[in-house]
Amino acid sequence: MRVIKNRVKELRARFDLTQGVLAERVGVTRQTIVALEKGSYTPSLLLAMNIAEVFKMPIEDIFFKEDAK
Amino acid sequence: MKNVFLAVSLRILLFVALAVMVFDFLRVEQLFIQMDRGLLDGFSVDISNWPGYMLLGILFLFIIANLLHFWRLRKQTNTDIRDFFTFEYDATDERAIDHTRKAVSYAFSGLLIYSFFVIGSFMFIPNYFLDHIWFPVFAVASIPISGLLIYAVSFTVLQRT
Repeated sequence: MRVIKNRVKELRARFDLTQGVLAERVGVTRQTIVALEKGSYTPSLLLAMNIAEVFKMPIEDIFFKEDAK
Repeated sequence: MKNVFLAVSLRILLFVALAVMVFDFLRVEQLFIQMDRGLLDGFSVDISNWPGYMLLGILFLFIIANLLHFWRLRKQTNTDIRDFFTFEYDATDERAIDHTRKAVSYAFSGLLIYSFFVIGSFMFIPNYFLDHIWFPVFAVASIPISGLLIYAVSFTVLQRT
């Protein structure tokens, strides 16, 4: 089975953003960012686009498919 | 998540207060019916206003909380607020919305199963309308309460996973 993974945690650290700040910028709660980074939540296309906008990167560079272990 | 618990608690209190008020009214009516049927020669009963006042008080709190919820929801841009108009629904972000949907479906399933057993339980108290008037009143009130509890618990579990 393939799942969607992301680089949100890594990029957030690179851009020096806290989970709260990123959450505020993309219009979700901090808990959603926590769940996203843990990989327990798959974001909607809108949220993925908002995150890509914050990091100024294409969506596919942040979210990618991977085989589940 | 705190809002969901507050909303569920208030809604449960509302159902309980309504059931208590209805029971308090029927308790007196029941005595008159029993006397009409010759089952009682006479009776004395205490009539109080507190069940009605309790219901009105909780209803007031519930309406205020609903208005505050609606006020907060107006700022929400992630969803169509008409879908989440009910005070119990958490629409703070898309993950909460997703969990709300799941929790509602669990609550609905639980409610269907629970109501099946509640209706069945009426079979064991055949003369409940006269001797055990509390049973049908509180049994009916327990149906939405069960759904609300399942909703609150499943929403909390989903939010924490």
